[in-house]
Amino acid sequence: MFLDPDLLMSALRALTPILLAALGGALCERAGVFNIGLEGMMLMGCFTSVATSWFTGSPWLGVLAAALAAAAYSLILAVGAVTLRGDAVVLGIAMNLLAVGLTSFLLRTVFGVQGTFDDPSLAGLPLIGGFTPLAYLSWAAVAVAALLLSRHVWGLRLRGVGEAPDAAATLGVRPASYQYGVILLSGVLCGLAGAQLALGNVTLFTENMTAGRGWIAVVAVMLGRAAPLGVLLAALLFGLAEAAGFRLQGLGLPQQATDAAPYVVTLGALFLTTARRRRRPRTRSSGARS
Amino acid sequence: MTPPRAEPELAVELRGITKRFPGTLANDAVDLTVRRGEIHALMGENGAGKSTLMSVLYGMERPDAGTVRIDGRETRFTSPGDAMAAGLGMVHQSFKLFDSLTVAENVVYAAEPRRFGLVDRAAARDRVRALAEEHGLAVDPDARVGDLPVGLRQRVEILKLLHRGARTLVLDEPTAVLTPAEADALFSVLKSLTAQGRTVILVTHKLREVLEGSDRVTVLRDGRVVARLVTADTTADEIAAAMTGRAVRLDRIHAPGTPGDAVLDVTGFGTDSVHDVDLTVHAGEIVGIAGVAGNGQSELIEALAGLRPVTAGRVTLAGDDITHASATERRARGLAYVPEDRHAVGTAPAATVADNLAMGHHRTSLSSRGLLPPAAVRAHARRLVERFGIKAATTEVPASALSGGNLQKLLIGRELAHDAPLLLVEQPTRGVDIGAIQNIHDQLIAYRDAGHAVLLVSAELSEIRGLADRVLVMYEGRIAASYPKGEADERTLGLAMAGAPVPAAKATEAVD
Amino acid sequence: MTRTRIAGALRSPLTFSVLAGLLIGALFLLGTGADPLTAYQAVLTGALGGDGIGPTLTTGTSVLGLALALAVPLRAGLINLGGDGQMVLGGITAAVTGLASPLPAPLTVVLALLAGTAAGAGYAVLAALCENRLGVPLLVSSLLLSYPAVSLASYLARYPLKEPGSSLPQTRALPDGVALPAFGDSTVTLGLVLVALAAAAYWFTDRRTAVGYEIRMTGLNSRFSAYAGVERRGLTLRLMSVSGGLAGLVGAIGVLSFPYRFVDGSLTAPGYTWTGLTAALLAGAAPLGTVVAAFFFAVLQVGGLAMERTTEVPRELTQVLQAIVIVFLAARLRFPSRWFGRRSREREAV
Repeated sequence: MFLDPDLLMSALRALTPILLAALGGALCERAGVFNIGLEGMMLMGCFTSVATSWFTGSPWLGVLAAALAAAAYSLILAVGAVTLRGDAVVLGIAMNLLAVGLTSFLLRTVFGVQGTFDDPSLAGLPLIGGFTPLAYLSWAAVAVAALLLSRHVWGLRLRGVGEAPDAAATLGVRPASYQYGVILLSGVLCGLAGAQLALGNVTLFTENMTAGRGWIAVVAVMLGRAAPLGVLLAALLFGLAEAAGFRLQGLGLPQQATDAAPYVVTLGALFLTTARRRRRPRTRSSGARS
Repeated sequence: MTPPRAEPELAVELRGITKRFPGTLANDAVDLTVRRGEIHALMGENGAGKSTLMSVLYGMERPDAGTVRIDGRETRFTSPGDAMAAGLGMVHQSFKLFDSLTVAENVVYAAEPRRFGLVDRAAARDRVRALAEEHGLAVDPDARVGDLPVGLRQRVEILKLLHRGARTLVLDEPTAVLTPAEADALFSVLKSLTAQGRTVILVTHKLREVLEGSDRVTVLRDGRVVARLVTADTTADEIAAAMTGRAVRLDRIHAPGTPGDAVLDVTGFGTDSVHDVDLTVHAGEIVGIAGVAGNGQSELIEALAGLRPVTAGRVTLAGDDITHASATERRARGLAYVPEDRHAVGTAPAATVADNLAMGHHRTSLSSRGLLPPAAVRAHARRLVERFGIKAATTEVPASALSGGNLQKLLIGRELAHDAPLLLVEQPTRGVDIGAIQNIHDQLIAYRDAGHAVLLVSAELSEIRGLADRVLVMYEGRIAASYPKGEADERTLGLAMAGAPVPAAKATEAVD
Repeated sequence: MTRTRIAGALRSPLTFSVLAGLLIGALFLLGTGADPLTAYQAVLTGALGGDGIGPTLTTGTSVLGLALALAVPLRAGLINLGGDGQMVLGGITAAVTGLASPLPAPLTVVLALLAGTAAGAGYAVLAALCENRLGVPLLVSSLLLSYPAVSLASYLARYPLKEPGSSLPQTRALPDGVALPAFGDSTVTLGLVLVALAAAAYWFTDRRTAVGYEIRMTGLNSRFSAYAGVERRGLTLRLMSVSGGLAGLVGAIGVLSFPYRFVDGSLTAPGYTWTGLTAALLAGAAPLGTVVAAFFFAVLQVGGLAMERTTEVPRELTQVLQAIVIVFLAARLRFPSRWFGRRSREREAV
């Protein structure tokens, strides 16, 4: 009674932003950059897409602007962590904070409203066969990323950079340029994720509207072991949790229970996979700062 | 450009290379000429300037003065990529490999055969097979590098260079991690490479392999060239004198100690990759453990120090069973430990000298009821700085400001100051200059003579032979042989380290 | 010596970050057509003037409490991102205790504080166990656990514990007398004293005890402290329990102060957790620095309201400032050394 086509459709709709952001995070992870600024980059994408769509009337320009703005924003991580060798964890946290502050500030200075900007004439993304074009793009991105990573020259070099940057450097490959590349790419993907969230899933901007989805994307990267297909499966799990939550809310469960559902599912999934993985030696570092 | 020369063609010609670092002159007008088709040994003690010179040659450092010519052409490399393009390749002492990638992927990395932009895996495999066959470097192209033993990883490194068409190969301390048999195999590969007209520069401080494997030798000391020798016309003593700058041999054999009661007693001991180890260290005795890196010495010591679980057997310290005691309990019962990696494990480089010297003492002599007065920490630090001759501006500078030798003195001084009945020491003089080496050796002997037990692990056979009252050899996680002081020469030890069967009579006689 | 020390302080990334943050803030102000000097002045007078000092100290209580909560594990290199959940659980537990306790009011207050602290500590320990036993990084486990806790408290305040007849998502008011004593007519309560005591205890532990030494060394090099026998899992557990306990205490203090009840969102909306984390990061978790940084951010937060009134620049700007300071600090930017003459540079080389 539960896993009907409707639920699957709404799960697929819910997963798009997380999937796009998580793909960006996975590429960074493969290049040895721990990117926890996904949430902030996504939020920048949300705001930029709404603002651009509102002023130009074109959601497509909104999508483009979101990708560019989030990519520009990701330079903070690239310059800070790669060039200046700062702490990526702290930079990521600061980027998330900055995005909340910046978008709230701009919401008030540009739109003159506090909390939420919502207007019937704000143009959202069209639906094709029930999904936004960005949803199709995200699925294609999974396939492209998988092919790039496993078979392409660029992917091989990227994996090498992530595993042993000094070894790559001795062979004339500059780790920094690959790391810049994936960080900017994660910015683009997070910008698209933000546009999907603000012009696809809904058509409005609310302060802090990403509400932890960027963090869930970080966890999806861990769960999917930074492989595109693994990340897709992990994101699907969260999509299902979110969709099931909405369904349950319709059946009278309080909203708080459904709000919490994706996080509880995330944690549960982490427990299960890490418990299984722990029998083998772990290589991933913990949350401790270096 | 280059005038015609009467002498043989030069593959590498460094002229007047000078390189300064803050506080040191690493290379002082160094000339190095290497002929095509020869194996040229570059020798020198730690800190003599070998690594800097090779970094300059390979484009990783830019010289303050001097010129680099490769195959007669003057070059200015700005990156290793440039050097590679000019036909130069380097095998670093710590291998630069990607463990999770296959042999073929490692070999072709950054020089991949392609089809439609994708890596042509079949071509990569064929290339590796062809190169391996041509040079006698057999290795499975599909194996994951992380699964390979050290000797095979080195082959992958060499294949990497050959794939890129390197005409001159630089090998930095290539035999440090090899058994004598593997080293012999390496030299036969190198000889076949030079027979084809390639050139090999061997950076090393091991006399034996230089004498057996090289054609000519350049010796560096304190950043200057002190000798240029033709191997066939020289002797080990001549090279050693040039390296150390004096006739005395560095590997001095200290007088034996007078063993008392057993302090550390280990029976049937096992931990990760260590099996069935029995050993006893007495008061007033240094027991040395020799072995090629990776044969379980580190695991044994870490387990004894309480940093790794013991999976079998029994360990007693001065009669108390400490088999499953925590690291803290072991220290409380009288164990001090100098770990191998002084930067990552033995100290906190960002912390002050005083804080670094307090570690371990902070729960015992320096504190009472959990309180740790800053004044006590500072006074303790000043005492140790003076007693062990640690050169530091003040005790409040970060430990990262100390030189390698002084940091090692800090670490050893801190552990000796525990006055613990048992001291575990790993690689006490690795990467330390000669003056500090003698100081450290004297400290260890004095500690032994004060009636303490010392268990020493070292990769330097001369150090083991000079200090230890008994020498144990570890091979594949087991104690393969045991010799009283002076009964094992380097050749005997080398054979035991390679896993050669030890004559039964001698082995049993030696084990007490 | 003093000269080089002053030059060193000026050259530290901290100075650079704060000045750069203020400068960029000034550009933002110019961009919105406001005069930066007027705006910054409004921040200072608004936060430290006669009407402002009370709210600043009230906000400061929460900010400092959470800054300490997050500094304690950060000193050992551990990042607790679950401050919101731990604080909110502390608050709702204190509210339940306050409403249900049969004890006399003063004892109920003590009990509510203890219960709130225990709830926060217990929840943080759960995050620590996730890292120790299940291998989920603390950073992630603490953050993910935070959301369900906030949802739970929100549910309790909106349904079972909701004040009958009220349109607001809040619990019933605590019984008369179940409140922290306030100073005069202000909203500043004994909570400030409790948090100040916690800061003093943290300073003492950090500078003068063996445990504090072990925590500092773990933060500087965790392998070094493990080598010397500091047991990491136990340390993580203890630090997280202190951390969560402090966060829970802040929640309890919030509930036991005006308006003497748990209001859904009132603890999380001001962003104390992130401000506190920012302060702790800015100070490198050093005790005195954390206190100074927390006060600095409380001034910004309260002064931001005054700035908004005078210049019509949205107060969210202060949040932007905070984040920019941390971005610069994390990127380790500093003034070039030549600005301070060659002497200080030569000293560094020794």
